[in-house]
Amino acid sequence: MRLTLHGILLGMRRLIPVSLFVIPFGTAFGIAAIEAGLDPVQATLASAFVFTATAQFAALDFLTEPVAFVSLALVVLALSSRHIVMSAALSTWVNRLPKSKRFLVLATLSDANFADALPDLQGGQDDLGRLFGGGVMLWVTWVASTAVGAFGGNILGDTDAYGFSVVMICFFAATVAGQVQSRTRLLVPVLVAMGIAVLTLPVLPTGWNIILAALAGGAVSAWLHAE
Amino acid sequence: MLSNGTFLIAVLIMAAAAFATRIAGAVLMSRVRTTRSTDLFLEGLSASVIAALVASLLAQSDLRTALAVAAAIAAMLVTRSVIWAMLAGMACAALISRLL
Repeated sequence: MRLTLHGILLGMRRLIPVSLFVIPFGTAFGIAAIEAGLDPVQATLASAFVFTATAQFAALDFLTEPVAFVSLALVVLALSSRHIVMSAALSTWVNRLPKSKRFLVLATLSDANFADALPDLQGGQDDLGRLFGGGVMLWVTWVASTAVGAFGGNILGDTDAYGFSVVMICFFAATVAGQVQSRTRLLVPVLVAMGIAVLTLPVLPTGWNIILAALAGGAVSAWLHAE
Repeated sequence: MLSNGTFLIAVLIMAAAAFATRIAGAVLMSRVRTTRSTDLFLEGLSASVIAALVASLLAQSDLRTALAVAAAIAAMLVTRSVIWAMLAGMACAALISRLL
């Protein structure tokens, strides 16, 4: 496996459109963080160091004196636990890099660059630059748009009127549809996972329904095609 | 307002937790010998995690979002381009907002 500058630039370019749609979320986080009592520099640093939207939004509830550090850690672990699943799915390729590069690439892992790079890797591409470059692009946008919201949020209006809010979910849905289209054996596992995610949503804590559903989808995939 | 010291500890804890989840899967898999079954498991897992995320978000959203997602999937199947899919989904959502 390689990690080339060419691949990194390709990954960055590929995720420019998706990154544009990260801006409303980052700005919203910046605004929410100020409302929760952080100062603008703190809000921006939180995005720079943590880089995971759902967990950051949830963590805001815990960032008041005195901070319950253990609860804070558990919330972040739970809400970003689907990274564990994505990281395992990438292990086939990532683990062929030297350790330092491996951790550098994985530090930028998030939903969008995972969804973008995976079909390529499965198709035999040997450059992890696309995953990493995509992650860098998302990170820069996430941090910059948080700063915009935190430093100037009150002068921005409602950003939802143009349909931005649906774009991320459309991106994820289209990625899965493309994967299933080129590998039809994934259809049944994917449908099982979607069903389980919806059915367990009311009874499991946020995020855990996705982990359970993903594990079930993996199990179905292994079971259906076992010799 | 959090003091800078408390904030620093909190942000380092959050960063460590998030980073741990990002490396955990790969570290775990480096200790397991892979077979055809584990490969199939990982393939199913990787498509399922994103699919489950979509299903979970859809279950918590409105008809407008569901229709936008349907438009995006249709556009993806026809054009095989994620960009067109996102544009179709966004156009569909904007159209519905305009009509209602």
